[in-house]
Amino acid sequence: MNSATPAIQIENLAYAYGRAEAVHDLSLTVQPGRCYGLFGRNGAGKTTTMKCLLNLLRPQHGKVRVFGLDPVKEEVAVKRLLSYVPDQVAFYPWMTVRETLDYLASFRPQWNRKTERDLFEHFGLDPGQRTGNLSKGQRTQVALIAAVCPETDLLVLDEPTSGLDPIVRREFIEAVIGAYQEGIPGKRTILVSTHLITEFEGLIDEFTIIDRGRVVLTLDSDQARERYRKIRARFAQAPPELDFKAALRVRREGRELELIADGAGPGLLELLQQHNPEALSTESLTLEEIFFVTLKS
Amino acid sequence: MRLQINFKSGMPIYLQVVDQIKAAAASGALRPGEALPSIRPLAEELRVNRNTIAKAYSELESLGVIETLPGRGCFLKENHSALRKEVRRQLLVVEIDQAIVQAHHLQVPRNEFLELIHERMDVLDGKRRANEDHKKEA
Repeated sequence: MNSATPAIQIENLAYAYGRAEAVHDLSLTVQPGRCYGLFGRNGAGKTTTMKCLLNLLRPQHGKVRVFGLDPVKEEVAVKRLLSYVPDQVAFYPWMTVRETLDYLASFRPQWNRKTERDLFEHFGLDPGQRTGNLSKGQRTQVALIAAVCPETDLLVLDEPTSGLDPIVRREFIEAVIGAYQEGIPGKRTILVSTHLITEFEGLIDEFTIIDRGRVVLTLDSDQARERYRKIRARFAQAPPELDFKAALRVRREGRELELIADGAGPGLLELLQQHNPEALSTESLTLEEIFFVTLKS
Repeated sequence: MRLQINFKSGMPIYLQVVDQIKAAAASGALRPGEALPSIRPLAEELRVNRNTIAKAYSELESLGVIETLPGRGCFLKENHSALRKEVRRQLLVVEIDQAIVQAHHLQVPRNEFLELIHERMDVLDGKRRANEDHKKEA
């Protein structure tokens, strides 16, 4: 699969709003069929990066390619290959849900009516309701239906679940897994930006953490969970003063010691072991915890 | 059969699925000839990537644990070890070594560790017997 054209290729992207630099020298590659997470705090540059993929913004520096195509020069071809759920969903408020979807479908060469029916049922939406009267959650659901039904090769989700209640968030993710990923394996690529990482944990194959427009970390999710570990040790007396330089963080509390390690877990375990702790345990950090740790250190 | 993903175990998600299905087969929670859950509903339920489940199933298939019948789904195989005894032993040795290393870190001494293995085997046997009794009643 590595020989295939990447679904997304961004090289040294930079973008500034006036003097305020939003994205600085950002590079990332998303292989087809992957679900890729873009994690960052508010204002980290996630939306700016996504807008460059859609030609809603023009890169001021660097290169952006979607399935090998330049979104600036081949905007229509690129938009045919992808669908997008923005962070702020807006429809014509006087149209009904049915009219809105028919209107959006008219721009698409294909539209899966069965998927549309299934999702209507799953979400319990009323096709006759005007979109102006929908709740935020319902508007996002309509936007997701409009993004899944054209069966594009790439689905771009910008903070799709923020501000939604937990049940709507759960249904949203199930719909992405079930309805969108159901297509040809290796041809359904997802780029999702979020700061609600826990909910997407099982879905994300690979991720990039960005902070103030710069890449902080790019890793495969399974590898990340293997590398980042939390080690807890409890001693009979005060914990020994050891060399924990290999740990990212050390916390002492009474007789207990908590270390966060990035790849140095086995060595630290061995070191602690030599000092006969009463109890010693280790677990992986979740992607959300990795996010916190990398942004704080 | 209920699967549960633990993101803190440090084990790749697809391997957790593989191991849990193997465990279900060993305990009789899943019997030879029985269907495994389809990929899509299982992925939705566990809220994991569909490809992760597909990868787990193809791994189980290459290990000879399950078979895919086109258009009908995946099923647990009758006699599910296609591997030679020697290879099977080698695979087990890797797992045992890992458990031994873990026991060392957790300061569980040799006797206790061996006792624990007996205990766990008894528990699993008990489960299997209980599942077989259910089968007879049904």
